[in-house]
Amino acid sequence: MQALIQFLTRVGEAALGWLAAWGRILTFGAHALIEAATPSAYNSAMRSVVMKQIYFTAWQILPGFLVFAALLSYVIIQIVVATARDFGLSEFALEMSIRVLVLELLPLLTALFVALRSGAAINTEVALMHINNELAALQASGVDPMRFEFTPRVIGGAVSVYSLTLLSCVLASVLAYVAVYGLQPWALGEFRHVIAKIFTPVALIALTLKSLAFGLAVTVIPMRAGLEAPRMLFFAPIAVLRGMVRLFFVLMLIEVASLSLVYL
Amino acid sequence: MTWLEDAAARARVLEAQPQAALVSAELPLRANLSVLENIAIVPQFRLNLSYDQAADAAWALLARLGLTDCAFKRDPSLDCVERFGAKLLRAVIGRPPIILIDRPALLLPDIHYPPHLESVLQRLADLIEQCRILDYVWNAPLYAPR
Repeated sequence: MQALIQFLTRVGEAALGWLAAWGRILTFGAHALIEAATPSAYNSAMRSVVMKQIYFTAWQILPGFLVFAALLSYVIIQIVVATARDFGLSEFALEMSIRVLVLELLPLLTALFVALRSGAAINTEVALMHINNELAALQASGVDPMRFEFTPRVIGGAVSVYSLTLLSCVLASVLAYVAVYGLQPWALGEFRHVIAKIFTPVALIALTLKSLAFGLAVTVIPMRAGLEAPRMLFFAPIAVLRGMVRLFFVLMLIEVASLSLVYL
Repeated sequence: MTWLEDAAARARVLEAQPQAALVSAELPLRANLSVLENIAIVPQFRLNLSYDQAADAAWALLARLGLTDCAFKRDPSLDCVERFGAKLLRAVIGRPPIILIDRPALLLPDIHYPPHLESVLQRLADLIEQCRILDYVWNAPLYAPR
């Protein structure tokens, strides 16, 4: 009986700790969003950090990312087109390719790309700032770390993920057209019809919300994980590991939730 | 000067001066910002100055201490004199009512620090309302008698 009580106590403590950690992430995200919605927060210092974040997260990786997105999109489009042809469903090939790529695959891959590149960097940087007491030093100088360090990263991350998603989706749509119709302008009318059928207002809102949710996740979760690191240097890798695992699960959760809402 | 008997006395002094700007080994510079940016960020953020205005003010202060050579260096590339100068100027530019220089032996371990402190504080005298140096009593012999 005693063993059972101890076991249940341990499980309960772990569950409470888990809930508390997610509660802190949500509170942190909400705080950052409130700051982002506060016009007076946008001083020159904050704006410069936002611009730096967009530069490092989106602009710097743009050529490589677009090449990756183009190659992946082209391969998937060819697979879909060939399979549709085999099953006598060629007339659905374009719509299917765009639905799979633009609405589902590219937003998720963009978020994963940014998470691996910038999310991990943000997590490490925040963990080191926290461990080295740099955030306390900023606070002591009258510079609010939430306003100067965290909110600009959230805004920059969300804008970057959304922009990269948008660009990759446009690129994939163009490639889908080329793969299905070739370099011919005669099918533009039909193409416009398919695009209008796919991108209904609801689908556009869902895509936008999903991209923004991805953008928030790739910055908020790594930053919060960095802040939870105990103030000892050897905990920095553990904080990054925890942050990235949490981030992966949240990205998948957002994707599954979006699929459920749209298709179920 | 405030002479400290031990760490507890130091903690009491710091607790009694919450409005003071602390120059301390425990409050490092932001590692991914240059010295100039570390100083300029204070007026840029608090007074909403443009970066150019804030950087001009920070540069003028660095020039007073003869530290413009390190303006674009980051923390790991600084020697102790440069790092101390940057931390002190980060405090000075915010125009606090009081500046506390916490355990200068930790901040300036490689030099005979009392004359350096005196020289630096003299050069910034018109910008500092009040400055107190917190040091342990056993370091008192290092300071010149007044």
